[in-house]
Amino acid sequence: MRLLVIEDEPNLAALVRAALDRAGFAVDHAAGLAEADACLRMAAYDALVLDLGLGDGCGLTLLRRLRARHDGVPVLILTARDAPEDRVGGLDTGADDYVIKPFHMDELVSRIRALLRRPNAALGVRLSLGTVVLDTVTRTTQVGSEPLGLSARETALLELLLRRAGRVVPREALDQGLYGMDSPATPNAMEVLVHRLRKRLQDAGADVAIHTLRGVGYLLAAAE
Amino acid sequence: MIRAEWWLWRRLAWRQAAALLLAIALAAGTVAWRTVATIRSLDDVALQSQARLVADQLSASPDGRPVLYMPPSLAAAFATSDGESLYMVFDGANRVLLASNPAAEALLAPYLPPPPQTGLFRVPPSERYPAGLLGALITAGPNGPLGAHPWRVVVAQAQEQQEALLASLLREFLVSTLWFLLPIGALTVLVGVLTTRHGLRPLRDASAAAARIGPQQAGMRLPETGLPGELAPLVGAMNGALARLERALDAQRRFVGEAAHALRTPLAVLTARIDALPKDSAPDTAAALGQDADRLARLVAQMLTMARLEELPLDVSGPVDLAEVAVEAISARALLAIRAGVELVLTRPDSPPAWQGNRDALVLALGNLIDNALTHAPRGTVVEVVVRPPARLSVLDRGPGVPEAERATIFTRFGRGRGAPAGGAGLGLAIVARIAAAHGGSARVEPREGGGAAFVIDLAAPAIMPAG
Repeated sequence: MRLLVIEDEPNLAALVRAALDRAGFAVDHAAGLAEADACLRMAAYDALVLDLGLGDGCGLTLLRRLRARHDGVPVLILTARDAPEDRVGGLDTGADDYVIKPFHMDELVSRIRALLRRPNAALGVRLSLGTVVLDTVTRTTQVGSEPLGLSARETALLELLLRRAGRVVPREALDQGLYGMDSPATPNAMEVLVHRLRKRLQDAGADVAIHTLRGVGYLLAAAE
Repeated sequence: MIRAEWWLWRRLAWRQAAALLLAIALAAGTVAWRTVATIRSLDDVALQSQARLVADQLSASPDGRPVLYMPPSLAAAFATSDGESLYMVFDGANRVLLASNPAAEALLAPYLPPPPQTGLFRVPPSERYPAGLLGALITAGPNGPLGAHPWRVVVAQAQEQQEALLASLLREFLVSTLWFLLPIGALTVLVGVLTTRHGLRPLRDASAAAARIGPQQAGMRLPETGLPGELAPLVGAMNGALARLERALDAQRRFVGEAAHALRTPLAVLTARIDALPKDSAPDTAAALGQDADRLARLVAQMLTMARLEELPLDVSGPVDLAEVAVEAISARALLAIRAGVELVLTRPDSPPAWQGNRDALVLALGNLIDNALTHAPRGTVVEVVVRPPARLSVLDRGPGVPEAERATIFTRFGRGRGAPAGGAGLGLAIVARIAAAHGGSARVEPREGGGAAFVIDLAAPAIMPAG
């Protein structure tokens, strides 16, 4: 996986680059818009980490150019601007995620991984968290090397949770993803399904846990 | 919205209508007065000629007494008048020589002009003649066949009731003039009102434009075209004020943005360096440094938020679903709660309470309350977030609660409670209070039944209730 980090603060750029290197990514660095354009012409990147306040202009202009030519490469904005209107402006322009400085390296790495997991990203047929693996093409699930043997609906639920691992999946989103618009699930049906999946994961010794946020939704996280 | 104390078009309509009525009344009064005067002078002439008529019929008897030969038509006039018309003939010593009616002498005598005067005289109203009598006195016969015996001839006529006469006159006048005066008046009022309303339309447009200007649209100006000369200076001055306001807001926004960049970039480098420290050498020091950096980052974030909230107006005009606000605030802290061993629960009404406000700011405020609850809630307890119509957000914990003495100061800047953990900057709750106030509402803390604290944000009723 090849990433381009566009950041004009040399210390921060070096640190981010080193951390992403350690996480197993191939990383190029551009200190400004012109340099970034040159990099983008020479190589294809799987994701961009983009600072907004660059020496030779605003990162949003680069993002706008990318989206204007229908380049869907995932872009994570890394910026000191935290005003809500900045955030909305960045996401409206076509950014996929928005991280405000200062940040922790492991958070940045996991956000980049999440971007690469997205359905429209190049990869993502194999979803995994901890020892749990789900193949979105063959619809098979494993814990370690052992098949989990889930029902179709349990697999669908696990997929929805895995795609947003570490984040809350609202009930409504699960409802729609699992039952569609026309057959509304009773609240009970959802709870029973979650309970079954939780028990199967537990029985298989999986190192992940499904947390319930009553009134909000569910969250799949690696066990501590 | 300011309640209108008066409306130009209404005031104009009232005044025009009043002026019109006054003009009608004045015209009617003048006409009545002139008519009455004319009728009176006509009366006078008629009486005098009647007296002359009577005088012409007088002749002298051999003993010098007057003899009246009344032609039948004249006699009939006096006879059928039922006492309304009287005549008398006196001699120079005021002795009555002839009278149409014996009672007339007593009635008229006190008011006769003394000889040798002639002319008109009035008899005041009495029971028999409620409007009084008008009389004409002439002298007759000093020359010609009557020799040196001048007679005085009096003809009197009962006056009609003046009021009745005036009333009928006015009725006549009003009936004949109102039918065209009223439509003309109504038309005048209508034209006045329409002109006012039409002339003020640019003002209404300008007001509507002004109402749309919020902190996010500070670049907007009021339309300056099509304004009547009376309003142009006001709108021009408004636009000048808006321009100054926009420059000030821009400068402030730039400053907060630059401050954020200037503070956050070195913090990001610091955090990244600490994260990159080798984990095997001095892990405790690395962890402590990480916590320090995190605390510093939190403080900077809160101070920048506070600066933004205090220096820049918050746009609270957007539609907000408070249940969504709660879901977003809770979702952002779900992992934190799981690590802290605290269960986060949302209680929301079946129908989402739609409200007006600033969604991001409300998420931030509720998030701060949840952060606060999570730092105080013991492991294994529940932190409850409650959304209640019409517009209340509460966060309930089972922590130690807030002592009564600190409940008021806890929402002030750096007003940290005694139980506050070392990591806090003391701005989180001040931000909550500021955001609640920007929504016209308030934030407070109460003791929770069964132990713990209940933090409540009440948003005030918005000017316009959104549908639903």
